[in-house]
Amino acid sequence: MTKTITRREFLTLGAALPIVAAAPNNLSSWLPRLTVFSPLGVETPGDILVLIFQRGAMDGLSAVIPFTESEYYNQRPTLAIPEPKMGDDLTSIDLDGSFGLHPALRSLKDIWDDGGLAVVHACGSPDPTHSHFDAMDYMERGTPGEKSLTSGWLARHLKTAAWENGSPFRAVGIGSMLPSSLRGPVPALALQSITDFHLGGRIRNHALVDFQAALSGLYQTAPTDEIISTISEINNLSTAADLTFNATGMLESAIQGEYQPSSGALYPESSFGQAMLQVAQLIKADLGLEIAAVDIGGWDTHVNQGSTEGQFADLLTDLAGGISALYQDLGDLNKRVTIITMSEFGRRLSENGNAGSDHGHGNVMFVLGGGVNGGKVYTDWPGLSSDELYGPGDLDITTDFRDVLGEIVQKRLLNDSLEEIFPGYTNFKTMGIVKSV
Amino acid sequence: METLNRRELLKISGFAGALAALSVCQAENALTPAAAASVTPAHNPSPVAQIDDEDWLIHQTLRRITFGPRIEEIERAKEIGLDNFIDEQLAPKTIDDTEMGSYLSDIESIFMSPEELLEIEQRGQPVRELIQTTLLRAIHSKRQLYELMVDFWSNHFNLYVRKSFVGLLKIIDDRDVIRPHALGNFHDILSGSAHSPAMLVYLDNAQSNQRHPNENYARELLELHTLGVSGGYTHKDVEEVARALTGWSVTNPRDDKPGYFQYRSRLHDNGEKTILGQTFPAGQGIEDGEQLLEMLAEHPSTAQYISEKLVRRFVSDDPPVSLVSQAAETFNSTSGNIQKVMSTILHSEEFRASLGSKFKRPYEYTVSALRVTGAQTSVERSPGSFLTQMGQPLFNWAPPNGFPDNADAWSTTNGMLARWNYALSVSFNATRDTELNWDDLINSTNSTSDVISTLSNRLLGAPLSDDSHQVVLEFANKLNPDIKIQAIGALLIASPQFQYR
Repeated sequence: MTKTITRREFLTLGAALPIVAAAPNNLSSWLPRLTVFSPLGVETPGDILVLIFQRGAMDGLSAVIPFTESEYYNQRPTLAIPEPKMGDDLTSIDLDGSFGLHPALRSLKDIWDDGGLAVVHACGSPDPTHSHFDAMDYMERGTPGEKSLTSGWLARHLKTAAWENGSPFRAVGIGSMLPSSLRGPVPALALQSITDFHLGGRIRNHALVDFQAALSGLYQTAPTDEIISTISEINNLSTAADLTFNATGMLESAIQGEYQPSSGALYPESSFGQAMLQVAQLIKADLGLEIAAVDIGGWDTHVNQGSTEGQFADLLTDLAGGISALYQDLGDLNKRVTIITMSEFGRRLSENGNAGSDHGHGNVMFVLGGGVNGGKVYTDWPGLSSDELYGPGDLDITTDFRDVLGEIVQKRLLNDSLEEIFPGYTNFKTMGIVKSV
Repeated sequence: METLNRRELLKISGFAGALAALSVCQAENALTPAAAASVTPAHNPSPVAQIDDEDWLIHQTLRRITFGPRIEEIERAKEIGLDNFIDEQLAPKTIDDTEMGSYLSDIESIFMSPEELLEIEQRGQPVRELIQTTLLRAIHSKRQLYELMVDFWSNHFNLYVRKSFVGLLKIIDDRDVIRPHALGNFHDILSGSAHSPAMLVYLDNAQSNQRHPNENYARELLELHTLGVSGGYTHKDVEEVARALTGWSVTNPRDDKPGYFQYRSRLHDNGEKTILGQTFPAGQGIEDGEQLLEMLAEHPSTAQYISEKLVRRFVSDDPPVSLVSQAAETFNSTSGNIQKVMSTILHSEEFRASLGSKFKRPYEYTVSALRVTGAQTSVERSPGSFLTQMGQPLFNWAPPNGFPDNADAWSTTNGMLARWNYALSVSFNATRDTELNWDDLINSTNSTSDVISTLSNRLLGAPLSDDSHQVVLEFANKLNPDIKIQAIGALLIASPQFQYR
């Protein structure tokens, strides 16, 4: 059953929003019909979380290279990234004498040097699946091997957080669809482009305002309609409609003109780069954002993955470009922002016959932000010799991804309800990746 | 009678048996104690109500098995009866569709051979024309259910046109694999896909060889195309399937006949394999793969998985278990006859009980607005560009699982806003390639209230509730007369009622 919010929950939610008796002057006149959120006065004491999901399974062994491992070079004759060599731009960038960054991640090295980047290696979801879709599903639900819970871990965090925040911008997925991590009891906004996020067309002014009001009215009266009165998710649809009306109204008054990034930050033209730009814009507009989820796809490199250059390097360039632009753009605001990257699983140690890599297990997560104990690779390294590998020849997992997320939820998002966010997981270990707020 | 609407009446009087079979959540919604208490009058409905009920059933069934019913289709169903109409749609070749050709007369690339396609200078042209063709067929073809099945299989055997040469080869796949078998036999479409150059390139099997078998296609063949992720296979099976399919490749762009299926025996792993407990003896060559496809097409997990997916598509996001097993039984007993499986599904009580409750995907939404209004479009830009904004750019879904098929995926804020903007655009003729003439649908001398009723009957297949009607009427009364009808139309296309089928 896909229904995620009951009518009663929806009503409660509506009641929790501050209802304004009359619309402020800067908002359209139709607004009194709706529940309007005012961002003023909401205290969200924790960080803003920017969660980047690398769809398709990133090759962690080529992103953060264990360059002291001879097996890494034995098993990857064409894919391996050479060990660090001073003055040579096409080698790994040494981090700590054991691990190096792929040269396409050079812009992240500055953040590392600044103490703002932590690397977690041999990390991931313990479920053995090599299916992209199952693995993503498990990770985004936060319940490896278990499909009974349909809500996402981020949605459960929002539900159990100790404060109220009725902003439609509380949780935003950049794109036309929402990631599964945000599915659930707290409605989240899907937003592709801030500049296009408004109702428009050949009717304008009063007629458009009336149109919007009538449309909102129809989404309220729909449950009285025989065609759809028995549809279980109709409340979700009404909620989405409401969110949309509120969000367009707020954006209209909060954001005007073209966005100018600070400190000369340059976002990649790619869809990921532009998504990160939208995140920066939302953060700076102070709209009550707590979670931003961004996807970056294309990591399923079975063929012609490339080494220091090529397909995989291009993906990393895009990833690092978007992250470092956001980091640079936010400046002082980084103190209140944590960025996490994750991917459904890593890739096999030995390359395949097509200069590519097949589905693996353990992987790398990056954690960035002002509250990060950065400049360190966090790992209980399992090794790469044949008896140390997992399953069909994969990097093993020694750190559960829930350890990383759990620590960040507790220390940076200030939510202690880990048993509800990651039900069934009791063995939390804290590695000290982040500082307490 | 306010407590029990017509739809519920129908269910209770005619389809009580189906309710028991429905998943719990739906049954709870449909048959509340209040509704059950007022059942009595339904046993003796007035003749007028009976006609309405039949009308309602026809409209709602056609909203499900077409991309939005045109008046001619409603009339055809009334003429021959609903069950016969379904059977007619299930036998598309019996429906004269010669007019369709005139809509496609300017389009060249979809009829080309691989070598001709590879010579086209404008690389984007074939895919652009395929999208155009697909939309034109969805809008104009009289074989509506068939076009919905084409969409189903295009998603089941998803291809991503931006990878390598997949865009060009998708033209061939669409023409020679998906369309010929969309209501045919499952083994045929599966085998067609496994021999399809587009699929072999998309999922990397074209480069797989005996020294390093590539697991990408092997895994998705089991997980997404046949058995399903819980269909009972192991990682070892995936590895063995990959070995069995080594050498299944595609002729090179430099060959005389580029872009065709090619079995390269030198790349095939000719050793013995064991797949799902069955031994494939050494030295079988290409027969390894052929035998594998037969085995997978006949496997009970495949019957179950495909049936469930079809029921999700045509009945409910929560496929009723009883109907899935009936469909799977048909699948098994007919060796994968898709037409027969669809017949089981569409003639079922569960199907009827589910009418009106399936959320339209963007593709269905955009096309339905054009069909029910009779809008004319060359589909040069719109609705393709709107589909991108709504999240369903055709043939552009990168991962191999196809576009999602549940309401939650599509009813996002961004998705809704894009739908509303499309409703405004199409109603007010805002794009140059599409023209909608509202006067064809209504008698403009009628009262505003009558206009609303006429349009909601045409667009939604039923009148609005009193409350909803009132909302539209109040809005309409505020408007300038010169935009009134377009605005009412836009509101109905943007309405929650129009989002469902």
